[in-house]
Amino acid sequence: MRILVCVKQVCDSADTLFIDQSSSWVEYGGHTVFRMNRYDEYALEEALRIRERFEGTGIDAVSIGPERAQATIRRALGMGADHGIHIYQEERGYLSPFDRAALISRAAADRGYHLILAGVMAEDDMEGQVGGLVAGMLGYACATSVISQELSPGTGEVLVEREIEGGRRERLNLKLPAVLTIQSGINIPRYPALSHMLRSRTAAIELIEAHALAPRASSGTRIRCAPAEAGSVGEFLEGTPEQKALRLLEILHEHSLL
Amino acid sequence: MSTPCSEGVVRMEKEVFVIALHEGGQFIQEMYETVAFARELCGGKPRIVVLAGDREIAGLADALARDTGLDVTGLSGRSLKHYSAEAYTKHVSAFFHNRGPVTLCIPHTAQGGDFAPQLSVCLDACCITAVERIEAGALVRSVFGGKFKAYHRPSAPSAVLTVLPGAWKRQVAVGDSPGRLTIVPVADDTLATTVHGIRESAHANTALSEAEVVVSAGRGVGKPEHVSNIRALCALFSKSAIGASRAVCDLGWLDYSHQIGSTGNRVSPRLYIACGISGAIQHIAGMKDSRTVIAINTDRRASIFGIARYCIVEDVNTFIPLIIDTYAKGRGKG
Repeated sequence: MRILVCVKQVCDSADTLFIDQSSSWVEYGGHTVFRMNRYDEYALEEALRIRERFEGTGIDAVSIGPERAQATIRRALGMGADHGIHIYQEERGYLSPFDRAALISRAAADRGYHLILAGVMAEDDMEGQVGGLVAGMLGYACATSVISQELSPGTGEVLVEREIEGGRRERLNLKLPAVLTIQSGINIPRYPALSHMLRSRTAAIELIEAHALAPRASSGTRIRCAPAEAGSVGEFLEGTPEQKALRLLEILHEHSLL
Repeated sequence: MSTPCSEGVVRMEKEVFVIALHEGGQFIQEMYETVAFARELCGGKPRIVVLAGDREIAGLADALARDTGLDVTGLSGRSLKHYSAEAYTKHVSAFFHNRGPVTLCIPHTAQGGDFAPQLSVCLDACCITAVERIEAGALVRSVFGGKFKAYHRPSAPSAVLTVLPGAWKRQVAVGDSPGRLTIVPVADDTLATTVHGIRESAHANTALSEAEVVVSAGRGVGKPEHVSNIRALCALFSKSAIGASRAVCDLGWLDYSHQIGSTGNRVSPRLYIACGISGAIQHIAGMKDSRTVIAINTDRRASIFGIARYCIVEDVNTFIPLIIDTYAKGRGKG
């Protein structure tokens, strides 16, 4: 069984971001901390659990980005991925899900993955598209928002439950190869052991230049980005914490809620 | 007609379609909202495509043409009896193949978000998800947890758009005559997907749906032991229940039966107190119908303040004990 896990590097908090000069995307301030997209941690953990069940499973972790993306790949190796692939793309603002998926599917095309896992969405652009796009580009089956999976390598199928509205679950069987986007809560991602993280520091990472993949022409979008306006319709309670607490209790009484 | 607004967005009336999603023989509310979005997008009458099994299609398509006054095409076949991303992608893309540029509008639900990206690949279309507003011809969506908005303009001739639930209001077609109906049978085929049906939630929580006051914990609570503050605040009210953001449930601080949001419980209490909740769109989808919302968060820019009636910029872990203390003193005096 060969598994590819897509791990995206995202900023830890939106507080250190500002809009770039051309207003097309955000720029990361000097203090920005980067880490692995949380949903991708669940995807990687699920791959590790599959490997525990099925001997001989190999897990590759792929990430797209500038130099700093290597830290996220090393984190994936520290968690237990066997091999890291860095698709080097210089810092250039917004990279659409289409462009990301095109790069990943080009890199994955000849590697015969049975399963490609990704988080249900990235915490930064929140588009939730890369998994579905990769499936479309590679002609893989696909299920999104997967909250449980049961792989049967013998029959070449995977039984999944997708989380849908109201916490209900849709059950379906997919024929491999397949892309699954993983919903949080499917597992508890492990914290990498220090010894693994130390070992991952010296592990070789396969480097592929994005332009060398010659991805297909973008069917992306032109984008502009702006801070969300405060847009509050509500009333901010002002004053000392004590004054706010008193005012809040008054409000609750006025609305006959207390 | 060419206005700056129309740049990049396909606005020709005949080219905007809604893919109507339904469940259990009923159209979902978000489908009607998506119709309202599509009307705004094209400034006229969009058309609708609905997919269903052979026995269901006529009733669904007919109801849709009457409800909306719009022209409806029904695609029917055995493989469409149950939803699957594979069947929807296959038959929608076959229908639009060689028709020229189109804009497809789909509700951003667990189904819509499931097949929209794959469909866009088949149609060589760009895909824009969870659109919440149209502004000067650009499609606006939230990024970075709602702290920023992205304004997209499709650069491909065709587009697949998913529409954020609750962002548009269902419009009632008044005095419109029913739209025209066309039913198109699709070829039967074998799929790589087998659908086994839907399992009810193991986490449905009647205490939450019946509560008049819901006090919800978010990541801002900081530590599992601080959840006791939320319980204490909740205990001030009668008919109250504890809610939580998905993050809090994922961290194991509260179990999933407390989760409020699109994939958790949906509540509409008289009072909703959001404690340390940033206000992800999925969370807001589960509580936006609450009558009064009070939000407590350290970050003045948190999106939850955008929908709260009363906004308090404080740390829940110091502020909640203060509320309880102040309340106790007040009672002592009174």
